Amino acid sequence: MLSLTALPLAAPALPLDEAGRYVAGAYVVFLVLIVVYVAIMAAKLQRIERELRELAGFAETRAAGEQAIPGREAEDMPGIDETKPSSGPGHDLTPPGPDDGRADHVGGVNRV
Amino acid sequence: MTPFGSGLRALSLATVAMLALALSLTFFYAPLDADQGFVQKIFYLHVPLAIVALLGFIAGGVFAVLHLRSGDSRWDAYSYVSIHMSVIFGVAVLVTGSIWAKASWGHWWVWDEPTLVSFLIVFLMYATYYPFRYAIEDRERQARYASVFAVTAGAFVPLNFMAVRLAESLVHPRVFATTGGGLPGEMMLTFLVSLAAMGLLWVTLVKFELTAKSASGQLKRLRRALDAPAPGGTSRVAPEVS
Repeated sequence: MLSLTALPLAAPALPLDEAGRYVAGAYVVFLVLIVVYVAIMAAKLQRIERELRELAGFAETRAAGEQAIPGREAEDMPGIDETKPSSGPGHDLTPPGPDDGRADHVGGVNRV
Repeated sequence: MTPFGSGLRALSLATVAMLALALSLTFFYAPLDADQGFVQKIFYLHVPLAIVALLGFIAGGVFAVLHLRSGDSRWDAYSYVSIHMSVIFGVAVLVTGSIWAKASWGHWWVWDEPTLVSFLIVFLMYATYYPFRYAIEDRERQARYASVFAVTAGAFVPLNFMAVRLAESLVHPRVFATTGGGLPGEMMLTFLVSLAAMGLLWVTLVKFELTAKSASGQLKRLRRALDAPAPGGTSRVAPEVS
């Protein structure tokens, strides 16, 4: 291994073509990390969207079933009034219920 | 309380603009370094990443203090995401630093250089945050113990930084020397813009992740309210613990 004092002396300016590879490599690594992160987040958002669609279908099916019963109107279901959210997204960090104990759930929200 | 996603679009646009400006300044404005030449351009990526990552670890500790004081799980989420993002930035710091070391010194890693090793120690310390956190099943205890970890580790970061500055080494570039030297004006401006860009990127990604987590949590609430069946086909690495 090179000694501490000898290292700076052994580090002259590289020719641009060789240095360019290293510089490009560093910036590409950074870019790849960001892209991978965004791709993971995109996959997560896709999952959320899919689950939301499933829930919407479930709610519509249930509402239709309740309307089919004669003499009974569909009841308002708590928590699904889209026009008046009970709280903002930030309010979601309340402790979850007992059936919600996933290890990837952080402070009431899910870990990636 | 303000939703996590508020202002995210404006923040994202500002981040993209700042990153573009930083890259432009790096490659078209900042002069070539007399000693290292073109390789020194890595400095404008590596050092801001390192500073933002370390500040992010400290921010995680500050949020953890707020969580311990208030008991509000929102601060725990902030602390967790701050540390999570800083670990990702830490990976970038280690990789870009290794590339710079190889280009400058001919070695991917130099074990007797305090700056490199100390950052690795900090990084590995925070890498243990995840198994430590998820080894605890009880949600309340998990958040509390993780906050204690974040506070302790967050206090270690500036101590570690000071220890490295006190350790005299001629190997790692000392661009912010306490006596003499320092960066010329163009390089300093480029560096500061790069630092601001990395800071904005960190804040944007933290907000992005918090928004996604919040949306996921809202979805669970909705599912519970509707008494809907659990989704099928989701793939998760982390096991269910309760």
